[in-house]
Amino acid sequence: MKVSLNLLKKFVNLDNLTPTEIAHRLTFAGVEVESISSLASGTNLVVGEVLTCENMPDSDHLHLTAVNAGEKYGVLHIVCGAPNVRKGLKVIVATDGAKLPGGTIKKGKIRGHESEGMLCSLSELGVDSKYLSESQLSGIEELSVGKVGDENVLELLGLDDVIFDLKLLANRSDLYSIYNVAKEIKTLFNKELSLPKFEMVKGEKTNFKVSSLTSKCSQFSAMVVKDIKVKESPSWLKDALRSSGIRSINNIVDIGNYVMLLTGQPLHMYDLDKLPKKELIVKDDIEGDFIALDEKTYKLQKGDVCITSNNKVMCLGGVMGSLECAVDDNTKNIVIEAANFDFASIRRTSIRLALSSDSSQRFVKGINPNQYNEVMALTLSLLKELASAKSNSEVVTYLEKKYESKVITSSTKYINNRLGTSFKDEEIVSALESAFIKVENNKGELVAHIPDSRIDITGEADLSEEVIRILGFEHVRSELPSMTLSVGKLEEKLLKKRMVRNYLRGLGLDEELTYSLVKESEINDFRILNKEEAYKVMNPLTDEHAYVRTNLLPSLMNTLTYNVSHGNPNLAIFEVSDLYSENNRHIHLAVVMHGNDNRQGMLSNVPYGYFHIKGIVDGLLALFNVDDKRVVISRCNEKEYHPGKSAEIKVDGKRIATFGELHPNTLNKYSLKSKDVAVLEMDLDALFNVRTSAKKMSVVSKFPPVNHDLAIVLRDDISSADVIKEIYKVNRELISKVDVFDVYRGEHIKEGYYSLAVSITYTSLEKTLTSEDVSSLEESIIKALENRFNAELRK
Amino acid sequence: MELFDKITELKNEIIKEIKEAKNLNELKLAGEKNLSKKSPLNAMMAHIKDLVGEAKANFGQAMNKARNEVTEAYQNRQLELSEAEIKEKLSKEKIDITLPSVSYKMGGINPFYLIQDEIIDIFVSMGYEVKEGPDVETDYFNFERMNIPENHPAREMQDSFYITNSLLLRTHTSPAQAHAMDEKKGEPIKIICPGKCFRRDDDDVTHSHQFGQVEGLVVDKNINFGNLKATLELFLRKMFGEKREVRFRGSYFPFTEPSVEVDISCMECHGKGCPTCKGTGYIEILGAGMVHPNVLKMAGYDPKEYSGFAFGVGIERVAMLRYGIDDIRRIYQGDVRFIEQFTRK
Repeated sequence: MKVSLNLLKKFVNLDNLTPTEIAHRLTFAGVEVESISSLASGTNLVVGEVLTCENMPDSDHLHLTAVNAGEKYGVLHIVCGAPNVRKGLKVIVATDGAKLPGGTIKKGKIRGHESEGMLCSLSELGVDSKYLSESQLSGIEELSVGKVGDENVLELLGLDDVIFDLKLLANRSDLYSIYNVAKEIKTLFNKELSLPKFEMVKGEKTNFKVSSLTSKCSQFSAMVVKDIKVKESPSWLKDALRSSGIRSINNIVDIGNYVMLLTGQPLHMYDLDKLPKKELIVKDDIEGDFIALDEKTYKLQKGDVCITSNNKVMCLGGVMGSLECAVDDNTKNIVIEAANFDFASIRRTSIRLALSSDSSQRFVKGINPNQYNEVMALTLSLLKELASAKSNSEVVTYLEKKYESKVITSSTKYINNRLGTSFKDEEIVSALESAFIKVENNKGELVAHIPDSRIDITGEADLSEEVIRILGFEHVRSELPSMTLSVGKLEEKLLKKRMVRNYLRGLGLDEELTYSLVKESEINDFRILNKEEAYKVMNPLTDEHAYVRTNLLPSLMNTLTYNVSHGNPNLAIFEVSDLYSENNRHIHLAVVMHGNDNRQGMLSNVPYGYFHIKGIVDGLLALFNVDDKRVVISRCNEKEYHPGKSAEIKVDGKRIATFGELHPNTLNKYSLKSKDVAVLEMDLDALFNVRTSAKKMSVVSKFPPVNHDLAIVLRDDISSADVIKEIYKVNRELISKVDVFDVYRGEHIKEGYYSLAVSITYTSLEKTLTSEDVSSLEESIIKALENRFNAELRK
Repeated sequence: MELFDKITELKNEIIKEIKEAKNLNELKLAGEKNLSKKSPLNAMMAHIKDLVGEAKANFGQAMNKARNEVTEAYQNRQLELSEAEIKEKLSKEKIDITLPSVSYKMGGINPFYLIQDEIIDIFVSMGYEVKEGPDVETDYFNFERMNIPENHPAREMQDSFYITNSLLLRTHTSPAQAHAMDEKKGEPIKIICPGKCFRRDDDDVTHSHQFGQVEGLVVDKNINFGNLKATLELFLRKMFGEKREVRFRGSYFPFTEPSVEVDISCMECHGKGCPTCKGTGYIEILGAGMVHPNVLKMAGYDPKEYSGFAFGVGIERVAMLRYGIDDIRRIYQGDVRFIEQFTRK
């Protein structure tokens, strides 16, 4: 809402208040002034008259002028490029040192000719081009007001205005009215108001009929005004509208807009003689085409609020009138409508047809339901003054039900308790009364009568807000809540997510955050752990963000591609995120490692691979105390992964992760040239939910452990994990640790076989093991491996 | 007493030989020659049988003294030489101490999570519970329970991502308030709810269709606006420094009444006005208010008996202010050169 201070000044005394002061106070009271701007600006301006004007010899458009700038400045020689500059013209002169929106004007030479200032157009003074005519835009301003030497140029032109841009929140729809802004100033600064008072319109009886057949119209008033003259509006009206961001059309349209600007009540004007019947009936069950004022055709559908006459749509309620009954230059008699419509319907129609106007915006926010009589009186007085209206009818009104002003009961105790303040009863009452709320006070018990414009005030909590926004938040005592002492804590799943994140960051991995909305192809990629149907957004902004992701790796793979293409080939990143699919919520972890693990810069270039990512899986299982015996690792047969270098992990039979290196097709898909990529996706819910028994210490032996190495030759398909499991089986008490320290294929080992070297640690809780004890264990181990795997001792 | 002179002479010769040993090997040879039983010095002992009485005693003493001196000289030289040897060996083992270390650096963290975790920790220290609400919400929770009835402008399709007519991606973390109240069933509440939110905004420097908020809610008997004020002052000073001025401006949210915007004095210019605060000296940091009676009522809390306050902080906004991040999209782009700049507050 643009508020012109010149206009506002007509209704409330702004003396001794600077625009900044007003803006600051309004902003703190919940009415944010988004910007303060001048309609136009310029210093060192003066009215001048062109005495001589000649073409500059060596230019096709510049003129050499001599301008009489009055007593103070004398005759100035000015070079001017405007096509309309000519002898005798009265012009705006910006003299040496003038500060204009575009910069400072200085004496100087143009193509060798002295120029002592500038002749100005209005756009050079900062006036928005939308308020200027074609000729005003293409040349300097041709003045009709003022006399040579006048320095109050902006004032002469009605351009000395300051404009507030109010950012109105949904609760203050009342402030789409200059009258109510003036009242707000009175509330906050206690300045005198001078709002005009209007009697009910007196007029001739009329048989013009108004009615509504829909509950979407709660009130509909009309007044017939005859013998009007359509013409140009006077300059004061044009200036007022211009400052408020509204274009002047003609006196009739301008009066409608001006009344709306002052009161917040949108009006519509019909040409009486074009109406098919002397009636206006509101309906909402009409379908078909509608040709609007803008000469475009719109499709009406049931539910649209239509103002009809003889069953023909004359106006799309609150949005736009029809071309058929529009006021034009020949209009003599008009019907004025002031109505109140259901804001939701107006909004739906306005959005569907992409038609938005100052009127529809006001209806959508909600208008004062009980001021139509005053509005009609104001309109009539302006029509008489500016359009020489001769006669008028009474105001005929359809009312769904009689409007009753709101009454709210509360107490000063409630208000102080809610705010944490200790205002005296009188302070609260006078604050409310300053906001035009009439209060009956009985020892702190309050009965408040709410002004009709304040449709936002519906309960006593709203009264408390009025009090504190008016008296100021600095009166609130700052005091921590006195509640029972509570233990702050993260819910378990958040706590566990944090454990995972801290662990991975501790390993040096970078934590990422990517968008939850992804494109369709990403839903179908790495669709492994979670195969549930993905949610599709009904109204996405772009295809890039049209689905709610169900797995996490595709997002992180895209982050990888981004990094590689931006010169960061060596990285290890992860993300933990909640994922949503029909009725389900999963927490996933994705890890991506690419390039080299160059922890010592270029001195150690170890390419990332399967065993890095497996290490993270093992680390996470250990972090959550998952017993090795419950974990089964097997090959992962998913198409995205390298078939020989990937795996999946099951805990208690449930698959919780897949990981490993990638299939060449996947590398291609993500434009990756290096094959040194290892990835992981893990279902963290499953990990978090693995039940582990209560931790108990196991005794550490005081006897020395004995280490022995063993190298055996095995068929290629036998895994080290199986071998280790078999070794433990031989004697769980004495075999405390089995580590693989070498895997060898090649010379001396036959094709299809490999050599596995393990280091076995033997420990007894009861004694120091002798070499005989160890040899006998070793023999049993060798025998077991021979039996189970046909393993041979490597010679 | 030429016998004594001879001892001294011999002893001096031996000591000289020991001192001249150039390395431990030479010293060892000198030792074997001069410290053994058959050494020339020991051979002098043969003369003792020619002596008697005091002379014999003196001779014995002189011999002992000479042997001790030789041994001492040997030991000293041995120490000297082995020290020199170690020194020389070590000097050959010198490395370039400026070469890169094996990295045990903590990984970088997206500043989004850095801020989110910090906010969580501050409120946990104040005794708040922390719980995440769902990203996918019903419009009942996202709107109706937040006192945004049907046909309210905020419910427009153009502002929210809908999945079905009644399911959408939450547009704010506020519905977590309703969930918390439903769960606590009339008990006092002190909770914060961090999470992701979504709005149909085109992504640009300051807008993102996805963003994070932390919602706070306190409900009990006798909770007032002053409690909100004190809580936010405490939080904002912990977050942005003890010297921050905190101010409240009237505002509007459908689910709070009174509603406020909360500003802090600019951390760059301390209230004088600068480009960061657009010359105002203050920076808008969060929205808050007293829980609207309708919101309490819908959750089964009697607004005559209970009251509460709520607030919501935008995570990216705080991150951008704190770290001078110029474009919100950087947070979601994942460039590791960006992420790795952040490890701790």
